[in-house]
Amino acid sequence: MALIETENCTLRYSAGTPFEREALHDVSVSIEEGEFVGVIGHTGSGKSSFVQLLNGLLKPESGRVLLDGRDIWESPKEIRKVRFEVGMVFQYPEYQLFEETVFKDIAFGPHNMGLSDEEIRERVVTAAEWVGLKAELLEKSPFELSGGEKRRAAIAGVMAMRPRVLILDEPTAGLDPRGRDLILNRIRAYQQEFHTTVLLVSHSMEDIARVADRVLVLNNGSVAMFETTDRIFSQAAELENMGLSVPAVTKIFAKLRERGFAVPDSVYTVETAKAALLTLLKGGADNAV
Amino acid sequence: MLSDISIGQFFPGNSLIHRLDPRVKLVLTFAYILLIFIPDNWIGLAVAILLLGMCIGLSRIPFKLFLKGLKPVIPLLVFTSIINIFYVEGQVLFSFWVLKITLEGIFTALFISIRILCLIAAGSLLTYTTSPTTLTDALERVLSPLKVLHISVHEIAMMMTIALRFIPTLIEETDKIMCAQKARGADMESGNLLQRVRALIPVLVPLFISSFRRAYELATAMECRCYHGGEGRTRMKQLHMVLRDYVALVVMAVFIGLLILSNVFIAPTI
Repeated sequence: MALIETENCTLRYSAGTPFEREALHDVSVSIEEGEFVGVIGHTGSGKSSFVQLLNGLLKPESGRVLLDGRDIWESPKEIRKVRFEVGMVFQYPEYQLFEETVFKDIAFGPHNMGLSDEEIRERVVTAAEWVGLKAELLEKSPFELSGGEKRRAAIAGVMAMRPRVLILDEPTAGLDPRGRDLILNRIRAYQQEFHTTVLLVSHSMEDIARVADRVLVLNNGSVAMFETTDRIFSQAAELENMGLSVPAVTKIFAKLRERGFAVPDSVYTVETAKAALLTLLKGGADNAV
Repeated sequence: MLSDISIGQFFPGNSLIHRLDPRVKLVLTFAYILLIFIPDNWIGLAVAILLLGMCIGLSRIPFKLFLKGLKPVIPLLVFTSIINIFYVEGQVLFSFWVLKITLEGIFTALFISIRILCLIAAGSLLTYTTSPTTLTDALERVLSPLKVLHISVHEIAMMMTIALRFIPTLIEETDKIMCAQKARGADMESGNLLQRVRALIPVLVPLFISSFRRAYELATAMECRCYHGGEGRTRMKQLHMVLRDYVALVVMAVFIGLLILSNVFIAPTI
């Protein structure tokens, strides 16, 4: 059975005013336990609305959201419990930091869960380690940290709740390449260690290609595609029609194939590209036409 | 939730009311707010309501929006009505213990409630049909005689523009921060008063910090565009009064005259 799924979910904003618009239309998606799903779509395609449905921050007008086969809106008073199971890191999460120390801020979620002080301490320290925050930073004010550190502290704040589904909305936006690599690697490692289901919303096709097992493509509030990463990135023309694209390295390989080089068509990360190029070069001139 | 707040929002349109000169609209709204306090009888009050109703009809803005804007004043109405019902002296309808309800009290409560509702609706009509920039522009023009008294009208208008401009931004920001904290299990919908106030800290601290950040950014952006106050500033959109503006002023004057006459010739209810 799928861990989390949506059944024919529809959502409208500002219903009944001149600004009414449909954010999601008949969205049915089901995600398995331990999957790493990338969510892509152009601006306004409904990505953010979709992920907010999953942890009950938005309520679908029609349709159901199921966690472990149970409707999360079955008892609206218990919706907080759903939010502990489905953790969500918003865009630019560093702007939500508020406590006096980083430790207290990361502890906010676990504290709301009503855990014991010992348990909270253990979780905060572990979460900080997972995102690569040094222990001495925990006693500092969150506002003394650098941009990248703040971002990681905010992500740790959600990880410390140990959610079964971790949703990240553009966790790498506005970071330098090193900060971006660090966060993506830590999230991937965390996902493999705890077998957590992860949804990563991103505009960077390179990021998605590096970490996702499956990719959900949203277009104008509907599901356009939901397939494995290599299948998605082999449909460059369809993606471009939706205002999206494929990773730069995939484009290069498409051009190479056009020129007649025998390279595989499922290259979408730099690592696979390197391997493919090495085989091509070792194979020598007889591969070229 | 928060995004449902419609006070001070602008709904673009092309109706007669939308096209009126903003200075005229500002003066007329102010005149209406005074006018609504003139009538002391039901017929006069009905005429005043009719005038507002006509304007709302002409603006082609859904009536539902006005009702939504009036919702937040309900507690105020209930409060003033209760005070009025119990404190106005007159013909006693029924009484128990030290409390007594009078016919005059009920009438006064109704009058005050209707006046407050009309006042808010008239204010909403102004902001619904006038974009914030034109509104502050108009305000600057209307207040410009005060420059003689060394009041920096331009700066006041600029501050108002900025404040109005950032209301939706701050609402959006508050919404986002609330969502983010709710996602971490913050409980804002239950608990007693003290708990609810405490629950606001995780929202207010980030909101303050981001407001300061925005203020710095805006100041830098304005300086980059060589802003140095109102001196010598010219406008891209010049305002001109046309026939419909004069007609509107005359209509308002006629209504004020009618209401004063109604007070003279009809016996007062309150």
